[in-house]
Amino acid sequence: MNNKFIIASVILLSLTWVFLDDLVDDWGQIESAPDRLETFFYEDLWPPDWSVLEAEEWVDGTLHKPNGELCTESYEIFCSKAWTGMEITIKMAFISTLIGFIISVPLASLSANNLVPLPIAIPARIVLAGLRSLPSIIWALLFAIALGFGPLPGILAMTLYTIGYLGKLQYEAMEGIANAPLESAMAMGLTHSERLVHVVIPESSNDLLSQLMFMFEYNVRHGTVLGLVGAGGIGMYIDNYINPPFAYDKAFALLIVVFVVVVIIDLLSMFARSFVTEQGDVKRPKWWTVLLPAGFAADYYNKSKDSDSEESE
Amino acid sequence: MAKFGGINLSSSEEVLHKTEDSDSTSESGALELRNLSVGYADALISEINVSIVQGETIAILGSSGIGKTTLLRTIAGLIRPLEGEVIHDFPKRSGIGYIPQRLGLIRHSSVRSNVAIGARTRKPKWYPALFPLGSELNSDIDSALAELSIGEYAKTPVRILSGGQQRRVAIARALVQKPKLILADEFLGELDKENVDSIIQATKKLISETGSTLIMVEHHESRAYQIADRILRIKDGKIVEEVSQ
Repeated sequence: MNNKFIIASVILLSLTWVFLDDLVDDWGQIESAPDRLETFFYEDLWPPDWSVLEAEEWVDGTLHKPNGELCTESYEIFCSKAWTGMEITIKMAFISTLIGFIISVPLASLSANNLVPLPIAIPARIVLAGLRSLPSIIWALLFAIALGFGPLPGILAMTLYTIGYLGKLQYEAMEGIANAPLESAMAMGLTHSERLVHVVIPESSNDLLSQLMFMFEYNVRHGTVLGLVGAGGIGMYIDNYINPPFAYDKAFALLIVVFVVVVIIDLLSMFARSFVTEQGDVKRPKWWTVLLPAGFAADYYNKSKDSDSEESE
Repeated sequence: MAKFGGINLSSSEEVLHKTEDSDSTSESGALELRNLSVGYADALISEINVSIVQGETIAILGSSGIGKTTLLRTIAGLIRPLEGEVIHDFPKRSGIGYIPQRLGLIRHSSVRSNVAIGARTRKPKWYPALFPLGSELNSDIDSALAELSIGEYAKTPVRILSGGQQRRVAIARALVQKPKLILADEFLGELDKENVDSIIQATKKLISETGSTLIMVEHHESRAYQIADRILRIKDGKIVEEVSQ
């Protein structure tokens, strides 16, 4: 570790401490925090109320979906708030992520300064910055005012934010690709769109896929927040439970469901990216490992990697 | 024939056609470097005056860091000359095939997709990037892959090929373009003799079929003599020797 790195680290940490001390007036807050958190956790959150995984039973004994439709599914869970809410949230996130990705890739290519001159890159970057400077909840609020409540304002909000956020990650990934393939393509006379489709996208595919899956995961997580402005999905149910009459244990159960979905998306991302990573760096996962908890999946790969290397020896 | 210390290295009568304006005449395939100085802030090589006829193979020799790659990049139009001109009438699209030192392959794409990038330049500029290439270009790709003995790896991602196989892919990509000029920067790398011989043989055959001019930067003198019609030696920022064979 060289001296410059140590000095820079010390300066940054000192600045962090100075800013923190400037912002926090009462350090005594921290002392009582564990007790208050413990009380809240055991009295309101724990144990999670797993009735959110069940259909609603009406007084006549029939089972219904949250929207009032009769439950005709083979398993009750498919009619539960957790399932139906998550289904809507995942659909919203899927649509927003995909449309956002399709729009952000060409915009990012117009922002990358190794692909276009600065007079084109700067306006494109300003557009992307504009789109992501408003958080998606503000976009959702604006669309909810314009269109009313429901999934559509949520989808539009997440799409706009996705374009701004993903576009920035993408142009940075594009700027990081090796120069040689681009130079060859330029010398050959390929057009901007040909360079984008046949050189830049494949060369940065690992990053683009990772960002795409991260954005999908982000949008699923953010679906829980967008529910607060009536954008529908699982967030709407969470919002209902954290408002009077409070049912934090049910909200907690729904948050655990969100967590499980996020972990599954992460594993899917690992699987998808395994197709574009250097062979040997990552062993391609089997499709069914997405069903394993993260720790088990890691154990599986470590063991099978060890056995592979023993065989090769 | 060898000239030492010469500046005007070739006034070959075989030069087909010279033009100041690359877009205004029919394509002759000739290339002229006139009073060329190349470099970044300071000139690395200067007073380059070379005329090259279509179909000629030129090898540029010189020690590392002397500016050979910079010269190649200048001819490719990737950087501006500090002084002088690169005069040719090659079409901007598909006119030049460029094999950089690091080959410039798309690591995550298949061998076939990499070679197809070269073939795509034979389609007009307006042809959509996502549209298929058509049967004629596809069969040209197949032929180039077969000629360079990489047909069996057509669907393999380039990143898992050996260094020699990757070099063959880069050559196939340039040749399938049918360019007027191929610029190759140490394209044989550190391959073993067997691989070098077979790549040189395949390259020579394909170049004779396409009639392309080849300018290659090489630091192995024996390889330069094996493949080139003319050898230019660079030393102390000047071309100091020309050998025709």
